[in-house]
Amino acid sequence: MDAAPHPQRKSRWSKFHRSPLFDVTQFSILVILIVWFFSTSTEKLGYNWQWYQIPQYIFTHDESGYYAGPLWEGLMVTLRISGVSLVLAFLIGLTTALFRLSHSFVAQIIARFYLETIRNTPLLIQLFFIYFVLGPVLGINRMTSAILALSLFEGAYASEIFRAGIVSIGRGQWEAAYSLGLSTFDTYYCIILPQAIRRILPPLTSQAISLIKDSALVSTIAIYDLTMQAQAVIAETFLTFELWFTVAAMYLVVTVTLSIIVNYMEHRFKVVS
Amino acid sequence: MPIEVERNDIIVVERINKTFVGGIKALVDFSTHIRRGEVVVVIGPSGSGKSTFLRCLNGLEEIDSGSIVIDGILLDDAKKNRLEIRKEVGMVFQQFNLFPHMTVLENVTLAQRRVRKKSKQAARAMSMDLLEKVGIDEKADSYPSQLSGGQQQRVAIARALAMMPKVMLFDEATSALDPEMIGEVLDVMKDLAREGMTMVCVTHEMGFAREVSDRVIFMEDGKIVEVGTAEHFFTAPVEDRTRLFLSQIL
Repeated sequence: MDAAPHPQRKSRWSKFHRSPLFDVTQFSILVILIVWFFSTSTEKLGYNWQWYQIPQYIFTHDESGYYAGPLWEGLMVTLRISGVSLVLAFLIGLTTALFRLSHSFVAQIIARFYLETIRNTPLLIQLFFIYFVLGPVLGINRMTSAILALSLFEGAYASEIFRAGIVSIGRGQWEAAYSLGLSTFDTYYCIILPQAIRRILPPLTSQAISLIKDSALVSTIAIYDLTMQAQAVIAETFLTFELWFTVAAMYLVVTVTLSIIVNYMEHRFKVVS
Repeated sequence: MPIEVERNDIIVVERINKTFVGGIKALVDFSTHIRRGEVVVVIGPSGSGKSTFLRCLNGLEEIDSGSIVIDGILLDDAKKNRLEIRKEVGMVFQQFNLFPHMTVLENVTLAQRRVRKKSKQAARAMSMDLLEKVGIDEKADSYPSQLSGGQQQRVAIARALAMMPKVMLFDEATSALDPEMIGEVLDVMKDLAREGMTMVCVTHEMGFAREVSDRVIFMEDGKIVEVGTAEHFFTAPVEDRTRLFLSQIL
């Protein structure tokens, strides 16, 4: 260690450096910089911000109560599609992971084929394929096509996450279950999956968030979800910037809420091993 | 070496061979028989195949050739046979392998309910009896992570006993424990031996072997070098290799 500077000066700086005041100062400087950056750049655009116009598209109200605006309705459609797809993706993912891990050759082939085709093609293409090609053949409607495409796509990634979780459970757990005479089903249901799922909640949450965001693509097959509704309102009002910021914020609220719920669940069901 | 199969034999192992991937011969023409209520201790240097032998007895390891018959049931590919044997043979592992996401009580009742199809109350009653027997009934609602190593191993023993097995296998049950906790686990094992349970133990605890074992098998390189009573073993071993091994560990 070199000779220290004047001890009193050093300790005063160190104290400030480590105090909360330093963090607050740092953060405030950062916020000021960001706001300054945005305000100068948007000034240059010469855009006429009309934020006051936005709320009416989310909801309106008169004497008889609240009415949902187009954005709110779109949000409900998005939530419905995402919700159903999440559940299906979870089931498809878990089944595929179990297939991959099974001793049956046929199960492994099916899982492998599914994974390789779905993971190597874009979601948008799969969506179009299911809606335009499979749709007429199987007689499925728009909503079903959308949910099917989303579930299959996200299910493939979810299955690899599940498989990683299952494989991470130590051999000793399998051997103990085996020695007690537990069936394969009971071993998975009582021992392996409860432990595996707790471990993979973080990447599973990321996948769920991906799904919610990817649901915006269903607007391409004319489903009136949040994104589609935003496009419709913009076409009428040209409130481009305000609307896209608002819609982005709405997606953000949904995904952050999901994260908070999952974090709470993780905390509640924590396993110390 | 021909086996004289007596009526009282619960385990008959005939000329089993096991080679691991890579060419390591873990068991070579290994044969033995174990009577009901007998306590057999298997000792030997590292890599001698003693754990492999133990794990073959309940099917955790597959044998390449030879046969294993437990309580009249042949250990083969038939699912029914395998399941029967898994139910009749209990195993205690070096690393305990308790289920960390379940309480002690749940660990012990799980297999009773799922495999023996007992009711919740019956399973609970039996579990509490067993936990009391191994001396940790007050920890019934704790999680494994809250227990010491010795306590966890005793839970593991109770869990295996809950299935009312005919044979108990102990794979170096005390090797992962701190010295001060080995005693409490050995006490449980000694009680079990005195009650007449058929036990096959791979262990380094010679004191335990001398006190309760009926027979000691010394293995090296996948073969039996010497077999005898504990008395014979520790006072007058025949083979040179046995003498060498004993001098190293005693």
